[in-house]
Amino acid sequence: MAYEVKEENSKDGRKVLRISKESLLELMGDIKGSGYDSLSLISTVDFRDRIEVVYHLTNSRTEEMLAIKSETRDSRMPSVTSLFESANWDEREQYDMMGIIFEGHPDLKRILLPEGWVGYPLRKDYDLSKVQYVNMDDEGNDRVSFDPGDGW
Amino acid sequence: MENKGLKEKYIELNMGPQHPSTHGVLRLKLLLDGETVKNVEPVIGYLHRNAEKICELDFYCDALIYFDRMDYVGAMNMEVGYLEAAEKLLNIEPPERVVWIRTVMAELNRLASHLVWAGAFGLDLGMLTPFFYVFEQREKILDLFTEICGSRQETNYMSIGGVYQDFNDKIIYKIKEFTKQFPKKLDEVYNLLAKNDIFISRTKNVGILEPEVALDYGVTGPMLRASGVPYDVRKAEPYLAYDRVNFDIPISKGKDVLARFVVRFEEMRQSVKIINQAIDKIPDGPYFNPKARKSLMLRLRGEGDVYARTESPKGEFGVYLVGDGSVKPYRVHVRSPSFKNLSILPYLSKDVLIADMVAISGSIDLVFGEVDR
Repeated sequence: MAYEVKEENSKDGRKVLRISKESLLELMGDIKGSGYDSLSLISTVDFRDRIEVVYHLTNSRTEEMLAIKSETRDSRMPSVTSLFESANWDEREQYDMMGIIFEGHPDLKRILLPEGWVGYPLRKDYDLSKVQYVNMDDEGNDRVSFDPGDGW
Repeated sequence: MENKGLKEKYIELNMGPQHPSTHGVLRLKLLLDGETVKNVEPVIGYLHRNAEKICELDFYCDALIYFDRMDYVGAMNMEVGYLEAAEKLLNIEPPERVVWIRTVMAELNRLASHLVWAGAFGLDLGMLTPFFYVFEQREKILDLFTEICGSRQETNYMSIGGVYQDFNDKIIYKIKEFTKQFPKKLDEVYNLLAKNDIFISRTKNVGILEPEVALDYGVTGPMLRASGVPYDVRKAEPYLAYDRVNFDIPISKGKDVLARFVVRFEEMRQSVKIINQAIDKIPDGPYFNPKARKSLMLRLRGEGDVYARTESPKGEFGVYLVGDGSVKPYRVHVRSPSFKNLSILPYLSKDVLIADMVAISGSIDLVFGEVDR
């Protein structure tokens, strides 16, 4: 193996592998080959100086679960959509909420919030006091602005 | 405006967000060739209120009401999912009586959720009658909930380390009365739908989902089991009292919409079995953990991270909870099963008729409180 994996246990006794983001794709490929065939979810935690990205995988035969943790300091991560189709919407959600750019994602755009939203709500430095309004333009598309406009 | 729609090969059509058969606020951008669907793009987020962020701003015990409002037809299962994670993080063990009470409540709510699905699915296919039959039964479950916790749907019944109200003999009697009459009524609804030729022809061999594809897309719950994969968190990683009751995991090899219908009805029969066993096994004892009594509730502190998975009526419901040692959660992330199950709709709806696409999207069992969070 060309990469370095640190093994640890989480608080609930689940096996956790810690890996640098450069070797993430390689490890995920090997893990998928060893029977973990379903990517359950991708979560991100903002620790202000770095963002931790956590992948939970399920083995459909043994029904075991495994967590892989990686971290990024420049908000960029390699995309795992080439390995798991379910990463498509998960990565879009994390891009939407946490502003992580997944490199190699086929269609990285916001999924829950409308295009044009300013900021990433789940970041710890997101300003909750600034209210943004969603209106509809003449074409029927969502338009986001800080100005309430008509209809509010 | 010039009308050039008929000259072009493909027509773009918006379905929703206020379409009656989209089960809430789903908007589908369809690309149509005549009546054949060429491409579907689901647009979601109309019900988004970022519950995860709101949970970060509140105490651990306050997050529960936002979980209630995720899957609003299966609120008990959402509460169980959050509490599985929170109790592990905060090191609070619920007493034995609570474990059994929660099992009964979660299964009752699973019945209610599947009943709503059956009614709405009939409506999708143009059958109004089953809707009334299932809502009669669901109303009985909601009456039980009113009796136990004071509200019908968004119950807010469970708390960290316990439940808010204890069971009494009257409740136990009423639940037994309910489960006694329920299987017969369930068969009635089943026959209404499954013995109808039109229903069979509209669901059989429609929306075939191969197990490998389902796993690749992260599909779980009855959708996955209807494709022949026996994955159920209640067996895979038992929580509550599921390792101490006797029940089966119904699977089907049909892989189509009809298989999902059959699996959900069989699951309801298994739920009745679980309730009947659990209701007799509820031991005496306290109904909350004194370490998490009301005066101490706001002082609970947790550190580290946990991921808890539970089987909600829609599929695998996961909660990833991170604590930093303060009284508020540092990060809450929810794996909502409907969100993952919806992501397969574009794959399943390639080159099918619009009417079949409605059947397929109906069979997913979407609840938008949970998809949009």
